[in-house]
Amino acid sequence: MEEKKAFRFYECFALTTLTGRRAANIVEFVEILRTASAEAIFHHMHQYFLKPHAVMPEFPNDFAVWVSESLNEPLLAEALANVNPFEFTNIEELRAEILRIIGDYLRAYPPPRPVLPGREFMFNEGITIVIPTDIEAMQIHDFAQKLKTVDYSSIYFHFYESRLRLGRPADDFSEFLSTTLECPGVAARIKSLDPYMYSTEVLRDKIVKLVEEAL
Amino acid sequence: MNLRDYEGIAEPGDLRAIEHMAARLEGRKMLHVNSTAAGGGVAELLARMVPLFKGLGIDVRWEVMQADRPFFEATKNIHNSLQGQGAPLTKEMWDTYRIVNTENARRIDLDADFTVIHDPQPAMFIDYRKRGIWIWRCHIDISSPEPMTWHFLKDIVKNYEASVFSVASFAQSLPITQFLMQPTIDPLAEKNVQIEDEEVKAIYERLGVPLDKPVLLQVSRFDPFKDPIGVIEAYRLAKKYHDCCLVLAGGTATDDPEGEKVLAEVQEKAGGDPDIHILLLPPFSDREVNALQRGATIVLQKSTREGFGLVVAEALWKKKPVIAGDVGGIPLQVIEGLTGYLVHSVEGAAYRIRQLLENPELARRMGEAGREHIRRNFITTKNIRNYLGFWTALEKKEKVIYV
Repeated sequence: MEEKKAFRFYECFALTTLTGRRAANIVEFVEILRTASAEAIFHHMHQYFLKPHAVMPEFPNDFAVWVSESLNEPLLAEALANVNPFEFTNIEELRAEILRIIGDYLRAYPPPRPVLPGREFMFNEGITIVIPTDIEAMQIHDFAQKLKTVDYSSIYFHFYESRLRLGRPADDFSEFLSTTLECPGVAARIKSLDPYMYSTEVLRDKIVKLVEEAL
Repeated sequence: MNLRDYEGIAEPGDLRAIEHMAARLEGRKMLHVNSTAAGGGVAELLARMVPLFKGLGIDVRWEVMQADRPFFEATKNIHNSLQGQGAPLTKEMWDTYRIVNTENARRIDLDADFTVIHDPQPAMFIDYRKRGIWIWRCHIDISSPEPMTWHFLKDIVKNYEASVFSVASFAQSLPITQFLMQPTIDPLAEKNVQIEDEEVKAIYERLGVPLDKPVLLQVSRFDPFKDPIGVIEAYRLAKKYHDCCLVLAGGTATDDPEGEKVLAEVQEKAGGDPDIHILLLPPFSDREVNALQRGATIVLQKSTREGFGLVVAEALWKKKPVIAGDVGGIPLQVIEGLTGYLVHSVEGAAYRIRQLLENPELARRMGEAGREHIRRNFITTKNIRNYLGFWTALEKKEKVIYV
């Protein structure tokens, strides 16, 4: 009989790198966005999910936050906040969608004034460091317990980053629950959670609750 | 002091990441170089971090430059002009800079796997590199530098593997990797550790500050960028409505000859007001600063230029609402309306002082939120983690690194 493989939790953190490219108005922003690296776009659309938040930002991506807080353009900020990066498996499509939204806005409305000095948008990138932990789970009850103890970054790695790693809208938790533990019901419920709507802290609670309900 | 002392404060994942990376780097050599052993944020950070690295099995050293007044006058000038104030340096100043860097680089053993040079003072050590990875850690705001000074420094900095800035907007166009890392406070240091109310009262009494009215406090070097004169003016505007006192507590650093001049201006501005207490604290007054922050009603940091402003994090950690200038790294710590207020003028500072003195419950809520914000983002273990991360990333040269 084949032995079941334990689920090993990984944690991670990001080192932010600075490109030195900055935009003081929407036109400069668009110009830089056209040529910014894929890593920069990924970073600004995902870092919300990897950062610890004692104070939650208004929107879950950096572009929307800057447009709202520094450009003071709520309409455009709302449109950008609605771009769900997890629906895109390709950064170029994501870039095109952001540029389309801004282009539509600028055709309909006058360009916003430049931001105040110090409020420029700084284009950054990230390097992710992944750490294997000794935390493992073999059974479903154990899995729920361990899920409560790992760092929030583990939720990011197994639920958000997995989509890029696996190249499809899947997460490590539901894969393990369905294939190794043969719990397709709870796996399907976890898989159906909208990753864009939660911080990792909230998502952890949601997943733990779903797993405990299945015990 | 070792890493596990931070259990219950630091994020457990950070502690695991540190131990995992340190195991890979165990026994290897790390070197930090800066220009002063005491006074100022850099020395404080190093004093706390170096023993932690040692406890993790890293063969770490901290070396301090030896220099005299002409060098520190030159480097203070570099510091000011990089922060956008002050004239370009004279040829004599640059010559002094070069000579003192050369003397120190020859004196200090620079053999290390990972060398961190802090701030512009020892930046030219890179010319004497023997081996290993070198990074330049810039703690100051160089977002709008005086062009000639930056041109000179850039020529030096481009020879490092990477630079590290405290705020994204400080980044420059450089042909090397530029990391972002905010500085941090140590919750277990003398300056931040929990102390009892009785001791706080005793220290206030010893320093001659009565606790019979609300205390407004600014702790900073006597430096024009910290705007101590503006703080006195804001206090005077607020005092018309609320009886309160103002404490301006400042230390001196060996690399800051300008401090005495600013102190004299502040004393003149105070004009003998018995409710203004100007405290010139000697080095190693961390317990006193801790007590002053804990006894304060509101903490001010009305900077007009700031590297990061760690004193803000110290006050927030002690659950104090902070009213501070909207500059440098301060907006990362003071979340407008949630952990304090960002101000742009004397009048703005005065208005927010009045608002918080009028509403102690709001001040209490801001203090609670502030402490959690600092715990999650700005404590020592984050810097330890990131330095080991930089070392790992610069060796492995990948975008996603499995350690």
